[in-house]
Amino acid sequence: MVALDLLTQTVRIPLPLAALLLGGLTMPIIGLLAERAALGRLREAWMFVVTAADLGAIYLLYQQLKADADGILVVHLWGQRPPLGGCFEVDALSVFMSGSIAFLGFLAALYSFNYMEKESRLTEYYALVLLMMAGMTGIAMAGDFFTLFIFWELMSLSSYVLVAFLKSRWGPIEAGFKYLLMSATAGAFLLLSMSFLYGMAGTLNFALLANGLRGAEVTPWMFVLFSTVIVGFGVKAAIVPLHTWLPDAHPEAPSPISALLSGIVIETGLYGLTRVLYLIFEPGFFRMSIAALAVLTMTLANVTALLQQDIKRLLAYSSIAQIGYMLIGVSTGTAYGVMGTFLHVFNHSLMKGLAFLSSGSIVHRADTRDIPSLRGVGRMMPYTTFTLFVALLGLGGVPATNGFISKFILFNSAIGSGMVWLAVAGVLNSAFSMAYYLRVMKALFARPESEGLEVREAPTLMVAVTVVMAALIVVLGLYPAPVIGLAERAS
Amino acid sequence: MELLMPFLISVALLFIIGLMCLMVKRDMVRLLIGVEILFNAANLNFVALSTQVSGFVDPFAHSVVMMAIVLDGCVIAVGLAMALNVYKHYKTLDIRKLRRLRW
Repeated sequence: MVALDLLTQTVRIPLPLAALLLGGLTMPIIGLLAERAALGRLREAWMFVVTAADLGAIYLLYQQLKADADGILVVHLWGQRPPLGGCFEVDALSVFMSGSIAFLGFLAALYSFNYMEKESRLTEYYALVLLMMAGMTGIAMAGDFFTLFIFWELMSLSSYVLVAFLKSRWGPIEAGFKYLLMSATAGAFLLLSMSFLYGMAGTLNFALLANGLRGAEVTPWMFVLFSTVIVGFGVKAAIVPLHTWLPDAHPEAPSPISALLSGIVIETGLYGLTRVLYLIFEPGFFRMSIAALAVLTMTLANVTALLQQDIKRLLAYSSIAQIGYMLIGVSTGTAYGVMGTFLHVFNHSLMKGLAFLSSGSIVHRADTRDIPSLRGVGRMMPYTTFTLFVALLGLGGVPATNGFISKFILFNSAIGSGMVWLAVAGVLNSAFSMAYYLRVMKALFARPESEGLEVREAPTLMVAVTVVMAALIVVLGLYPAPVIGLAERAS
Repeated sequence: MELLMPFLISVALLFIIGLMCLMVKRDMVRLLIGVEILFNAANLNFVALSTQVSGFVDPFAHSVVMMAIVLDGCVIAVGLAMALNVYKHYKTLDIRKLRRLRW
């Protein structure tokens, strides 16, 4: 069993989670050492070690899962039997999700080293990033609703503080409070849905819930449960009527945090939604409502994105639209559709992560987020701009990028399950979204209006991170077999 | 079931009160109190249902509620810290003055 044993085998935690939690909790000590002993980059080194250890531990877990016969590893917390104590259930989907989290987390951490070096309170920053990653990994591996809720709140709390991290300006504070209020309300809805589940089945364990509730007759309580689950997870996943926090919070956070929020935090909301819906309800119960939400989410987000002048705000709206595409896969109710959803989660984490990181470099150097005043900046930062183009083309679903592959699978699965109108809506939206991606590209490429604009290329490490991600997008677009194989196992 | 009904009704009432508080109040601290009311409604529901499911009062629900109380305490603490920062920037806690970010 790949798990860390504490206190003579009474408390066990999966190894990736243990690495992140331990790293996050020891970060204040490391930070103190770095400040007192003037050890320079000790914090960054520790951040690198912890995120790399997380990636390694997930690889170990994957190897063990492959060797395991029934494909589920159960790690008991507190030494209790699962119905009573909390537990972790690690299956292929959890490993896939936590792999995406670890990968993007690693790259965003590398990127932060240069991006954040002028900021103060770096110790808190790195500790919160690690705890946020730990929260998401915990959600991906949770085996009961109670464990999920605890890690959900860990993720939420650290992301509130990270959004409002640059507290000397008014924007982050205002966005952070809005995010906190909406997300905390959603947390209360989640707790209410937990209590209804508990009242219906007498347990919060996922396996027992599935036994007790799947195929049960539809009572009014099921609709109450369904709506509380949708609200509880939907705010974090930014499904459209509940999305209003996202376009404020994502642009105002520091760029590596925007990348993490947009790349994986909202997908973690989607992961929770998918897992709970498929555990508790028959697919026929929720298909039409999720499909309607998908169309609403895509259309509204794409139209609003077209009106934006702020590059990061535009990308935030594009994230909402991508959530709409992922919901298509959830609404099909087939394994193929869910595979498409999680493939798109991974691809989107790469593409949107890259888009936020490289536009972050541009914003960092040019010191403005206004698209018209970024005219011509692309000519002065060729590498960064090139990676941004790759990311935007991928988000638009151009062939030879990985975004094309997963969108193709998603739309295909919608047709396969008899919802042709859903696929048509998706394709139209996807074409429509190119309009605003091309607008960003045009602005960056255009001849500068004033001669005085002078922008240098971003620091080497930041460029290196973005180039690696751009290369991965193209490589996985041309040769998607390995990731598709992983996603297929996962669903 | 008859015993459970008053609890379910009061949970529904608390939830409505909390949501109303979030919708009509404009003081930031009051909004946080609204969130707290929502959490407490959910907690009450947990404890009320724990008497019904297994024929005895299930201690599991109580342990969940203990953790939930701690967690929402943390959320409120972060929220109050943010309200403090808002006060430093805007010199007011009126949520309607926070209008510089628009869609």
